[in-house]
Amino acid sequence: MVNTPPSTPILILGGGVAGLAAAVDLARRGLACTLAEREPALGGRARDFCCKAVSACARCGACRLADLLAEAAARPQITIYTQALATSARPAEGHGWQVELAPAGPAAPLPIGPGQPLPGRVSLAAQAVILAVGPQPFDPAGKSSLGYGRVPGVISALELEARLVQGAWEQRPAPAKLAFIQCVGSRDQSLGRLWCSRVCCGYALRLARLLKASRPDMDIAFFHMDVQDYGRAWEEELAGLRREMRFVRAMPGEVAAGAGGPEVVFALAEGKQMREAFDLVVLSQGLGPPAGAGALAQMFGLARTQDGFLGRAEEPVAAGAAGVFVAGACQGPRSLTESIDHAGLAAAAAAAYVASTKGAGRG
Amino acid sequence: MARVSLVWLERPGLEGLAPELVARAAGVELDRGGLLEAAVVSGPQAAAPPGLKGRLLGKPVVWLDLALEVGGGDDALRLARAALAVARAAGRAALGTLPPVYAPQPAQNVLVAGAGLAALSAAQEEAALGHPVLLATPFDAAHVPGQDDDPQEVSLLAARLPAQVELAPGTELTELTGAAGGFRARLAGPQGAGWQSFGAVVLAPPGQWASSCEAPGLDPALTQPVWQLRVQEVSGPPDGWLYAAVLAGTARPLTADSFARALRAALALAERPRVQVVLLYSEARVASDHGERLFRQCRQAGVLATRVAPGGLAVREGGRELAWPDPLLGQEMELAPDLIITADQARAARPAFLDNRLLWPSWESLVPDNPRFSGGRSSRTGLYILGALRGTAPGAARRVEAADAAAEMHERLAGKLVPMPVVRDKICARCLTCVRTCPHGVPRHVVDSIHCAPAGCLACGVCAAECPAQAIAPPGWSNPEMFAGLQRALALAAEPRLVLFACQNSALAAAGELSAGGHAWPAGLVINPVVCAGRVGEHLIMKALELGARAVLVAGCHEGNCRSVTGNLRSRLRAGQCSRTLGRLGLAPESVQFLHLASNQPRVLAQAVAQMAARALEG
Amino acid sequence: MRLNDGDPGFKHQVAAEPGGAGLKACFACAACTARCPVAGHLPEYDPRRIIRLTLLGRREEVLASPLIWRCSACYSCAEVCPQQVRFTDVLTAIKNLAARAGCAPPAARAGASLLAKHGRLLPVGEFENEKRAKLGLPAVEERPQDFQRLLGMAPEGREPGEGPA
Repeated sequence: MVNTPPSTPILILGGGVAGLAAAVDLARRGLACTLAEREPALGGRARDFCCKAVSACARCGACRLADLLAEAAARPQITIYTQALATSARPAEGHGWQVELAPAGPAAPLPIGPGQPLPGRVSLAAQAVILAVGPQPFDPAGKSSLGYGRVPGVISALELEARLVQGAWEQRPAPAKLAFIQCVGSRDQSLGRLWCSRVCCGYALRLARLLKASRPDMDIAFFHMDVQDYGRAWEEELAGLRREMRFVRAMPGEVAAGAGGPEVVFALAEGKQMREAFDLVVLSQGLGPPAGAGALAQMFGLARTQDGFLGRAEEPVAAGAAGVFVAGACQGPRSLTESIDHAGLAAAAAAAYVASTKGAGRG
Repeated sequence: MARVSLVWLERPGLEGLAPELVARAAGVELDRGGLLEAAVVSGPQAAAPPGLKGRLLGKPVVWLDLALEVGGGDDALRLARAALAVARAAGRAALGTLPPVYAPQPAQNVLVAGAGLAALSAAQEEAALGHPVLLATPFDAAHVPGQDDDPQEVSLLAARLPAQVELAPGTELTELTGAAGGFRARLAGPQGAGWQSFGAVVLAPPGQWASSCEAPGLDPALTQPVWQLRVQEVSGPPDGWLYAAVLAGTARPLTADSFARALRAALALAERPRVQVVLLYSEARVASDHGERLFRQCRQAGVLATRVAPGGLAVREGGRELAWPDPLLGQEMELAPDLIITADQARAARPAFLDNRLLWPSWESLVPDNPRFSGGRSSRTGLYILGALRGTAPGAARRVEAADAAAEMHERLAGKLVPMPVVRDKICARCLTCVRTCPHGVPRHVVDSIHCAPAGCLACGVCAAECPAQAIAPPGWSNPEMFAGLQRALALAAEPRLVLFACQNSALAAAGELSAGGHAWPAGLVINPVVCAGRVGEHLIMKALELGARAVLVAGCHEGNCRSVTGNLRSRLRAGQCSRTLGRLGLAPESVQFLHLASNQPRVLAQAVAQMAARALEG
Repeated sequence: MRLNDGDPGFKHQVAAEPGGAGLKACFACAACTARCPVAGHLPEYDPRRIIRLTLLGRREEVLASPLIWRCSACYSCAEVCPQQVRFTDVLTAIKNLAARAGCAPPAARAGASLLAKHGRLLPVGEFENEKRAKLGLPAVEERPQDFQRLLGMAPEGREPGEGPA
């Protein structure tokens, strides 16, 4: 056993925006906590998201990761372990949890950002646990008719973001003709995913606008069923977007390989079948329950929502086990900003739980 | 002027730098553990060893994230850049002979004005953090819900309200001034009206139903909004069908929450005997909990889900017939409904005192559409606007908002002391520029001087940039201190000398990422971190040029992303003014530029700095 | 088209038929239309339009439409449908209703008669069985009785929809 504090008031599993926000929120409340992240770097998926501002902030919230990292690093109440994996948990005597953490893989050569790699196996007693393990984006290969992994020129939205983060089209011209296909892995009973992922319309349209700004003659088609709501000025923003790109209200039946790039097969409103070639087809993948949801649920004896997310749909942060709380998009589809906010309530609930068990101990 | 020592903390990114050499090159002493007058520390405050803070107590200290300004390159370049950064910080520290001014303990009590889930959650969360709460509700009891709240949830919360929450029934907030730590509120209740002081204020008036505007001219005899619908009283005739039209955003799409309510109404109607429901909408807004599931349940129950183009619904026959085009069938569809249900959404009236433009900014500035202002925050520190008034969906989202607001409020009032802006009363011209321009409502004009709310300052420095008399600034960020830092650094800097004013919410993180990745900055670049780009006014830009900078780049957040609402826009305006002034003087106007940037756009910053350096070399 | 003139019960009736259960789940995303090979050759054939008319309760129009008999039963629509409508099966339900209502086209009726008479669409006679015997295969007997029962047809090939014999 290594020289680490054997107990912590609150253990947070997951160092993405929700986990970081929960840690910062607890620190604001004057509570100490330990945050365990599986990867060598904190930040989770938000690390791979680009800024989508064109002439003004697009309110995607991706920049808030840097705020959270800086704040978490500056707070002495927060202990951060990277490359730390929870392997088992059991209820501690009285209340709280005894959680076993193990190093996830060999230590990365350099610590990236705040936190230190987990020095070895650690058994941590926590009075409460917050799960902030994030969502699992849908693998578009699961919707085989759309050609992902099979048809060249078909990429996922996450891959598009990664290309933008790496500055793929800063040196060479961006594609001239681009299609976004929405609801890939969302609103889909045939895949057993009967929910709207809430974020895809927003990120796809903002990515589209960002690309269009880099190349104003770009022809963008947006294949969708309904456009969801993104805040106060959204309808006006949407009206502008409708002028900039083609909104096609139809779900394509197929994306096939063609001589001039991937071809999207779709039907017009009046029923006419169309087949149109694009340079790039982007599949806007939805959000699903975390990949390890089953294992975590078993480890802590958690409830799962009807859709398989962690916790209970009717209670925003309760996980269905005493002293365990859920934060962010592992509880249900949420945007970055929504996840950050949601983590605040999870932190409040965890703090209240810790306070109430203290009271019980005295009485 | 104080003697400045360099306190060396070994940090990632400072490998291979000899502290003695850095200190000597920067013209300061290296700290060897003795007495200190003023200090520059080579790492952030969080990295300080426990003993150090005691030694620095009460001394002017600049915590310098040195690694961030050094970057990569050969040893000579890194040493020069380290010396430059230390010199800049030492300039500030040397002048900061006075310890920061801290306010007297800010008021800890909280006023929650409102009712319903949002107000009760806020009261509960703040009381849990130990703050005395006055809950001023327009109703005569705490358990009265807003019209869009779940009554059961509200009465449960009301029954469990902690003892620190004092209830003021039948009481209204009629006037409000101040900011965090020092609000004055006028409350009018059954016992009369009077002014009281609070540390923080939460506005959460109860929601009231309003019908969505669907189409003009609907027959009122047939039409009712969702909240008035009594489903049990609806059933079809024995020998035919009752047609119910549910209008769910035909003129303009609804919010997901309103759409879900319309879906629930449609489902309940469809389950009545011999009722045919036609749901008309322009966009199916299913992004709520179970929204998509509910939508499918509706269709399965026989609801005709029918899309119309926004505004495409025609009303005829005295409001008793609806018509819309169907592009798939290529026909006009007609429906003579026996019942028309319109969607609804709860709204809350904006308190009238917010219309006072002398005391309050516009609603758009008070509750900016800005991702940094989530969780109930407003631009006025210590003021939180929640629930229906903000447009937050009923239910869980309101509890989330209340919890977030409480944590922020608690830290602001009870966390570490916030240094107050220093007002030099003898120089102050009482022009009220600071009162007008402070984005957070901190300075107020009381009798004949400027008073600052004790816990409200975010140190953005907009007041310091705007004050024509240079009489106000957050401690450590006054013009003389900033000038001295620039002077020391630019004296050391290699030609061409360049200055980057980097906002700590955007450009500084981007610069840090570049430095950590080994980016080699131009040798003559002085990176000058600022709390907000809004700190950078004409004085500072012109001073940098006067002290020998060939070019100045101000990098702030994107429009609509500034933590101080419009600090970035003010700075952009000032940079533009400086640029025009240079042009009028026959100097190169392009030597002053402003850059909008986010923390995750390091390449944009590197490119802009490289361009600045290239231009300076040419010119 | 006046919605009040439709028959709201029609969609429930189709949904209650074997195969018709998915009908009402349709949210008109048009994936089926995009994928349908028949629609590619016959522009007036559109699965979405048939579903729409059925949901609107246009009973006569749907049952009498020659288009409902054009489906090639390739199940492409079912493959892409995100709401599991299984349009091919829905159409089978509609065709059954149409046949019962006497709306089956002559070709379908002829097919049904052949089934009722021979138990298969291609009659098997002595010629075929001789060939099978040469190949060492057992002879095939015509057993139309099962189909007669299933189709509710008398041996002489009464019309479907006229009730079981």
